[in-house]
Amino acid sequence: MIIRILGNGCSKCKAVERRLLALRLDQGLSFELQKVTDLDEIVKYGVMMTPGLVLDGTLRSVGTVPNDNQLLSWIKETSA
Amino acid sequence: MKEWIKFALLAAVFLLFYFAPVSGPAAVTSLAAGLALLQEYARLHVLTCLVPAFFIAGSIAVYVKKDAVLKLLGPTAKKIIAYPVATVSGGILAVCSCTILPLFTGIYKRGAGIGPAAAFLFTGPAINVTAILLTGSVLGWDFAIGRLVAAMVISILAGLFLAFVFREHDKKNSNSDFVAGMSNDLPYSNITIALFLLLQLGVLVVFGLALEPALKGAVVALLIAAVLVIVLVKFQKEHTLEWIRETWDLMKKILPYLFVGVFVAGTIEVIVPQAFITRLVGENTLLSNAIASTFGAFMYFATLTEVPIIQKLMALGMGRGPALTLFLTGNALSLPSMIVLFRVMGKKQAAAYILTIMILSAFAGILFGELL
Repeated sequence: MIIRILGNGCSKCKAVERRLLALRLDQGLSFELQKVTDLDEIVKYGVMMTPGLVLDGTLRSVGTVPNDNQLLSWIKETSA
Repeated sequence: MKEWIKFALLAAVFLLFYFAPVSGPAAVTSLAAGLALLQEYARLHVLTCLVPAFFIAGSIAVYVKKDAVLKLLGPTAKKIIAYPVATVSGGILAVCSCTILPLFTGIYKRGAGIGPAAAFLFTGPAINVTAILLTGSVLGWDFAIGRLVAAMVISILAGLFLAFVFREHDKKNSNSDFVAGMSNDLPYSNITIALFLLLQLGVLVVFGLALEPALKGAVVALLIAAVLVIVLVKFQKEHTLEWIRETWDLMKKILPYLFVGVFVAGTIEVIVPQAFITRLVGENTLLSNAIASTFGAFMYFATLTEVPIIQKLMALGMGRGPALTLFLTGNALSLPSMIVLFRVMGKKQAAAYILTIMILSAFAGILFGELL
């Protein structure tokens, strides 16, 4: 699974990244984390409030830091 | 930052210290003036204005629902709604300057088009809560409101003008999709959130009133207690933590630069000859407003530092008109932002935007100087 974080270095983007990395470590998940910082690329997803979170091509959240449970359920859904 | 820019900066600092007359009286008095202004800000503005303002900005970032506002800036939005929304939405959507650029690019390339995007880009930095509140606290509320109203009017005029000139551009991107929502829904009523914001604003306002210290302390304590009750009873811990993190993040980003800016502003009063300022921008003429407009356009002011700098320039005799002009262009334009604009908008659009803003700001300054 590929998870992309869309964001140009805002604090929330970093928070999402930290949360995902911690989850991957704690839960033994396997996914690739990609950070998209190019504005044009971000806007292509229709995202204007960063961070945007994309799991295997599906945009899941915009402008917030989702909590662990939310993230886990998305990851489960995507890998199912 | 490019390597040669770093080198140039280092070389400039080196040359400055190499030749600076550090033991002369000017050096000592200017240092003292810088420190004095820092003390003034620390005593008068930090606790009573800036700290509450940062908490308010943090609450807006976390608790205010932005989806509805964003929808009004989408590709299908009516222009007549998109413009006014674009001018005021900066206050809700862009509590930090780093969020302005993605929003602007989004509105410009996939949303309501160049006009509303330009309007948003211009008012975004000027309309943010902390900037307005600090301006009011330091320079008076007529300035804060003048700055706000002028920015809104100019942004709409500039946006309409650009939309007219570049109407071909907007035809290309009118049918792409636009994700406005999907942020987590917060389980709080609008009334709770409004009350939460108003109580915090109340703290700041009461601090500014001329009340007896005992009474003032009591009212402020009461307001803060009410805020805490909402936080403890109504809000979930997770969101409260996010609120605090957001607030702390803004402080970390802005305060260090502000303190440097305040110190520099203090030294300006001693280093820059008064006659020079009065001659250049003392009167409210077309020329002096044009000078203020150009200076503000190229000069980079870190968030909020425009306030102490303009405060001290006015102490040196800068007129009220040019001061407002400087507020308008100083916030919205700078050399770095121009470079980004050229990249995102293309040469012609960017040049037109910058010139329009500069001219309109100068006229707004003249008008403000004449009327108020």
